[in-house]
Amino acid sequence: MTAGSNDLNTQMWLEEYGDYLFRYALLKVKDTHFAEDLVQETLLAAISAKNDFSHQSTIRTWLTGILRHKLVDHFRRQEHEVIMTDLVDQDEEDNLDDFFKTNGSWIDKPDTFPNPELAFQQKEFWKVFQRCLSGLKLKQVEVFLAKEIHGMSNEDICKSFSLNPANTWVLMHRARLSLHKCLKTHWID
Amino acid sequence: MLNCKHASQLASQAMDEKLPFWKNSMLRMHLLLCRSCTNFTQQLVFLREASRRFRNNLDFQLTDEARQRIANALKDK
Repeated sequence: MTAGSNDLNTQMWLEEYGDYLFRYALLKVKDTHFAEDLVQETLLAAISAKNDFSHQSTIRTWLTGILRHKLVDHFRRQEHEVIMTDLVDQDEEDNLDDFFKTNGSWIDKPDTFPNPELAFQQKEFWKVFQRCLSGLKLKQVEVFLAKEIHGMSNEDICKSFSLNPANTWVLMHRARLSLHKCLKTHWID
Repeated sequence: MLNCKHASQLASQAMDEKLPFWKNSMLRMHLLLCRSCTNFTQQLVFLREASRRFRNNLDFQLTDEARQRIANALKDK
């Protein structure tokens, strides 16, 4: 996905990427109004810096990067510990000790999940789902949202997030294992 | 024979691209024998469907008011 000339039509950014940025911000700050403010700040910053946009990445990824910096600043000011570990731990090491024993078998065996349709009708389910997504590390959320919520291709994900395919698999695998575990703990059990 | 850790990796990868023939065969063989990984594989589909619905859930989208407010703030830039 290379950026076409329309991509620098800043008036379209709110329309095209507003919900995406809002969702990502909301997962990390949890306060609706603050998340809205962050979307606004991100777009304002992007508009004044639009000449810096390099066509190496997509507009979406570029905007996400600006939002990520704003989130990091915010958490730094709050000396938020979680986010700091997020930062150091950006390159997901292939460590799955939370999920698998040394012989590669499950620590906590996946059971069957109840009927998805029933789950999706429950408001409570969505609260838990949101909470579980929030619990993922920044990079994992970004890749997961890009993939599962916005249907970006692997190729675009690799390019946009400067990842090689193997990193992408590791991030997605980890994100899915974490979500699965979190849903099991907070919703099923 | 694959262990569950590797099988779950392949199952996750298979959600996003077609696996090479031999990897796919190894995964299928494992799934035939392993209830836990079969459950996990089904939950990957569940997660995908949940994500799709999450996207369309109005609680996780900008409200019209917020959108308008932001549009106003951006207008003169």
